[in-house]
Amino acid sequence: MKTTRQWIATGAFALLPLAPLTALITAPAAQAAVAPEALVGPVADYKLYVLDNLEQLVSHTRDFTAAVQAGDVEKAQALYAPTRVYYERIEPIAELFADLDASIDAREDDYEKGVEDPDFTGFHRLEYALFHDDSTEGMEKYAQGLMDDVNDLDSRVQGLTFPPETVVGGAAALMEEVAATKVSGEEDRYSRTDLWDFQGNVDGAREIFELFKPLAAQEDAGFVERVQDNFDDVEETLADYRLEADDPSAGFESYDRVSDADRRALTGPVTVLAEDLSTLRGLLGLN
Amino acid sequence: MSQFDRHSGCPFHRRTDRSQTALPPADTPAPAHRERRRFLKGAGLTGLGLGLGGIGLSGTCPARAASGHGQDVTSAPQEQDAQLRYPFHGEHQQGVVTPRPATGMLVAFDVLARDRDDLERLLKILTERMAFLTQGGRIPERDPLFPPPDSGILGPVIAPDGLTMTLAVGASLFDKRYGLASARPQRLQRMEGFPNDALDAARCHGDLALQICANTLDTGYHALRDIIKNTPGLLMVRWKQEGTVPPLPPAPGEVDGSARNFLGFRDGSANPDGSDDVLMDELVWVGRDHDEPAWARGGSYLAARIIRNFVERWDRTPLHEQEMIFGRRKMSGAPLSDSTAEGREQDVPDYSRDPEGKITPLDAHIRLANPRTPATEKNRILRRPFNYSNGVEANGQLDMGLLFLCFQADLEAGFITVQRRLDGEPLEEYIKPVGGGYFFVLPGARDDNDFLGSGLLAASA
Repeated sequence: MKTTRQWIATGAFALLPLAPLTALITAPAAQAAVAPEALVGPVADYKLYVLDNLEQLVSHTRDFTAAVQAGDVEKAQALYAPTRVYYERIEPIAELFADLDASIDAREDDYEKGVEDPDFTGFHRLEYALFHDDSTEGMEKYAQGLMDDVNDLDSRVQGLTFPPETVVGGAAALMEEVAATKVSGEEDRYSRTDLWDFQGNVDGAREIFELFKPLAAQEDAGFVERVQDNFDDVEETLADYRLEADDPSAGFESYDRVSDADRRALTGPVTVLAEDLSTLRGLLGLN
Repeated sequence: MSQFDRHSGCPFHRRTDRSQTALPPADTPAPAHRERRRFLKGAGLTGLGLGLGGIGLSGTCPARAASGHGQDVTSAPQEQDAQLRYPFHGEHQQGVVTPRPATGMLVAFDVLARDRDDLERLLKILTERMAFLTQGGRIPERDPLFPPPDSGILGPVIAPDGLTMTLAVGASLFDKRYGLASARPQRLQRMEGFPNDALDAARCHGDLALQICANTLDTGYHALRDIIKNTPGLLMVRWKQEGTVPPLPPAPGEVDGSARNFLGFRDGSANPDGSDDVLMDELVWVGRDHDEPAWARGGSYLAARIIRNFVERWDRTPLHEQEMIFGRRKMSGAPLSDSTAEGREQDVPDYSRDPEGKITPLDAHIRLANPRTPATEKNRILRRPFNYSNGVEANGQLDMGLLFLCFQADLEAGFITVQRRLDGEPLEEYIKPVGGGYFFVLPGARDDNDFLGSGLLAASA
């Protein structure tokens, strides 16, 4: 996607529908509002980031679902976590489409009948088959459904206007995801690949933070420093569990291997990040 | 007996420490019973002869409320005044000898602070928030583009509502993380399971415990959410259990009894008098004579237990058997040893003429817990429990029980000894302890310049 990024960076902003600027001018006098036009660049960059990840999500999902269709359990197991990462990174945008988010990423707890519920589909339905049943039997329709949903998501996001408050608020939303379901290890309870998702959420939050950091620094330099430190802390702890220190694509150890002490060590900075990032919208004068 | 006889307690043991005295604001119309209490308080403090007529009966202070109707630690709560405010600063923390209000919760935390400095920061934040919350006041406002600093569940002005917050430390805080080991209270230890326990690891222990009590649960929840909001990265809730006790409206001529537990028995009948300073210094507060580090003086041990009650089974047990198990009459609360028809809860059991347990079985709960011998006086504890109800078990039975909380100057002589005596008691058929822990209640924060745990940090520096 480098080429797309470069292409758009050369000035094709018209292709990126943005919220009307008037929508941004809602900050009361209490907060020295960031000039709305200053948000245009970071929001455009963020859309590029999302499109990059979507493209990766589509192609990885194609390989993953093909392995399921082919009945190759081992290959499908290996592709499960590396595919999800791209979804986890862009959750603030993906979640704007509640119907797709449910069919792609809902967990069995979201359904009264659990794994037996006919509406339980998507990644976690396949996770259950691959890691609990060690089988792809009867999974063809779920694989096809996931592929269709991901393609649908891709086309919907292409035409989406990215509201700045959703983008900026996405950093906090991602950390809330981490705090609610990643630290506890309930997201990927059968594959135990939670750390992949964890890193994906952190990546997505950090991307947003980095894009808006210069603006935030103008308002509160201490805030920026604190958030950076806490991101570093989280990433350092996560790095301890990488299978290959120098190769991120090698992924992570099973979440079962994460010690209680490290779960607590992760909870601290994650909670501070969630608290701090919950103020990022206000800091930038966004509603 | 006159009303004063019943409620004034002993003028010679009156508290002079105002730290545990409710301070109603001057501009609030006080209910009649509170007026009476203030009147009595004045009488006690100045040593005027009011109520002296009642003292000669036994020569000792009756274990009754010191400051009015419903003021014994485990009396059924009667104070529902939203403006009821207990001072935060003092030699001791609040919430120990303070009369128990209608609701209470214990919240255990893991401390996430990364080092000693972080721990000190945490203790200062906790002290500052507790000082504010227990006194009440207007919540701060903030630019509405930001998350509000207060949950808002009590509205723009927080009423103190009888709120007390009591901070205690667990044995695990003294591990290698913060360099506190050398200052550890002598008897602070990790709770070990007793024979009848079925401890659930997710509801046991903790680096810190915060007891939050108030007239209403919402006031407690507000306080807890404030603490969580203000300590990100420093604290993680490990477990929490809240409970209630039924309030009893004051009625003329009514005997002021202990609140009932979910087995239907009055709980706290034999509690030592929380308003008796001399007795509290002996049984509850750590002092010079207690073989503890100097910094710990003014503190107390808290034993917390989540004790499930099998209430359906209990309700299918004959009343006579229930009473034999406890050693008390269910309705009146009178000890079985009291043969008179008008037996009262307050009557002291007398086992001297019943060495074989023909009247009060030798394994009756109250007889094992407090054998009433000179040798077992030092094992007395100050109980301050609440009833809890958590929902329904998979078998359709109610998950109800007792959030047992008790305070003592010596954990081993107190709760641990008493519980060992109770091991194997017939009541075990109907109860199952599933959680809890041992903690040490820090000495109080003296004033605005002090913080809870300052002595502990200084002693281990």
